[in-house]
This record gives sequence, structure tokens and C-alpha cells, in this order.
Amino acid sequence: MIEPSLALYGETFEKVEQHLEELLAATGVRYCLLVDRKGFVLSHKEALWAPRPPALDSVATLVAGNAAATGALANMLGESTFSEQIHQGEKGVLYVESVGDSALLTLIFDSSVPLGRVKVYAKKTITAITGLLKTLQDVPAVSFDQSFSVSASALLDDLLG
Amino acid sequence: MSTINFAAREINCKIVYYGPGMSGKTTNLKHVFTKVPTHLRGEMISLATEDERTLFFDFLPLDLGSVQGFKTRFHLYTVPGQVFYNASRKLILRGVDGIVFVADSAPNRLRANAESMRNLRENLLEHGLDIKTIPMILQINKRDLEGALPVEMIRAVIDPKGELLITEASAHEGRGVFETLKAVSKMVLERLSQPT
Repeated sequence: MIEPSLALYGETFEKVEQHLEELLAATGVRYCLLVDRKGFVLSHKEALWAPRPPALDSVATLVAGNAAATGALANMLGESTFSEQIHQGEKGVLYVESVGDSALLTLIFDSSVPLGRVKVYAKKTITAITGLLKTLQDVPAVSFDQSFSVSASALLDDLLG
Repeated sequence: MSTINFAAREINCKIVYYGPGMSGKTTNLKHVFTKVPTHLRGEMISLATEDERTLFFDFLPLDLGSVQGFKTRFHLYTVPGQVFYNASRKLILRGVDGIVFVADSAPNRLRANAESMRNLRENLLEHGLDIKTIPMILQINKRDLEGALPVEMIRAVIDPKGELLITEASAHEGRGVFETLKAVSKMVLERLSQPT
């Protein structure tokens, strides 16, 4: 395992979801994602008024790839990290900020939403989520029994012939 | 290990296609993309140069379906094969759960195969990973090529101890592509069932 894997569940997951919900309401962003460094979506929330989001798998992968590349650049330039990325377009903004070593908070919003407000609330959310994720560090690794791989193999046969 | 999200009941596995430039990594993914039903896969993303060389990575998400109540998903990636893109290759290996090493059967690519395998070993080591601990398949591609080298000759330079499972393929015809993906996927999923 190169990057830490996250297993969000139960109360922690619900609390993370609640923080994302509050962030959404306080800032007026369209979509709010917590993505792990491997590029998988851990949790996401979207505003009720927002149109259907783009493929979240793809967004998460590109955000994580971008963060990894930016991190490598930071190291080459003698920085430990560039924790924040902002991409501003004509109509919208993509804002990504590190949540500790294991995750990335990704916000997508209209240009009319004040960036300063988003940053202030995002930092509060990140502090809260970082604390929650720390509580997961001591959770023992999980494993599945043999029947899991048997069931999975059957599905693989169906999918790939 | 794979990312397991209990609350959303998801298991996510990352499989990386590695190998020398032009060995057929992207072709493998393109074949999967065209043959898997649309409701079981997402869009394929290719970050490539104008001449279709992979610049950063190709990406294809695949849904296996629900296993014991867990939605199981594979993310397939390719790395750029060209020697000078090593910084990008290293990044793609982050969090890898399984590897398909795509070797080229052309006689003039034997050395490139060996160098790419050495590069893979070095890049994994930089992340503190031993290549022997990761589920990996050796796909010998371009078997339809005129003058294709014997499989054993290619294995001798890439995997001299004969430790890897081998599949033969002609990815541009689709031959061996699914067989390879299935083999590596099974290895990754079996690992989830093994006590750590």
C-alpha cells in the first residue's frame, strides 16, 4: 500500500457528510466532494438546485492526478506541499485543498460565488474533517472471507467472459 | 490495499497497465472501453499528446457489480511508456492494487521491455513497495507481429525466475485483453479475502 487507504463508515461517515452539507449551505457551491489521494470519491454532496454533475469518478481521478503532480512540483521547488489549487474559468471555479495526507476537498462553484467566503468555510470544514479522519488511523485493517472472492470471481466471469 | 468505503458500501481497486512505450497499454484500455456494456463503465479519459502518446495517463472506470452488498469498482490506468515521462509514471503508481505489465513482442523492443520492468521495480521501491507483494500479470502483447519473439525469450529478460502469470495478447485485435484483465482482477480481489 503506497497511499493510506481510507475506510469511512458509520458515525464518522455521517459526520463527514454533515460537514459537507453545511459547507454546501454556507457557501452556495454546486458540488462538494471528498476524494482520496488515489482518486476515489469518499463522499459527495450537491446543491438541490444544481444540474446533474459531471462524472464524479473522472473528476476525482483528475483532481487526485493534478494534486499528485502539483505535490511533485512543490517538492522539486523545495516546498513540502502546495496545499491549495484554484482553477478559475469564465463561468465556474474548481477549488481543491488538502485534507491531511490522505484526502482532498474539492469544490465546484459558479464564478458569482465569492472565493473568499468559500475559502473561509472550506478551511473550517477541513479542520473538522481532518480531526475525524485522524480517529480512523487506529482502525484495524479489514478482510473478507473466501466466499467474497468466489462471488467476485463469478461476477468477473459474467463481465469479462 | 483497496479503498473500502463501508458507509457507501463500496470497494475500489486500482489497476495500472505498465510497460514500454508503444507496447499497447492504451490499446488494451480502448478495447475494454468498446466492448464492455455502457452501463458498466464510465467515460475513458486520455491525457495524450497530439500524436496519441500518453502524456500523463489514460483512465477507465469499470463497475463489477455488487459483491456481498459491496459495490465493487475497478479503476484502470495506463502510464506513459516513454522513458522521459518517469515523473508521471511514479505518480500513477500511487495506491496501486494490481499491475498488468504489457510487454512488446517485437525483436527490437526486448531491451525496452527489460528496462521498463527495471523502472517499475525502482519506482515501486521508491514508494517502499516490493514488486513481489503486488498482484501482477505479464501480458506478452503483439503476438500477431511478424517475427514476434518466443514468449520464453521475453520472459527470460523480464521475469527470469518465472514468477509471474503470463497471458498472450494481440490487443489491437482484442485477443487476450479480457483474459488479462480478468486474471489481474481476480488476484486483486482474492487478496481482499486473505488475512493480512
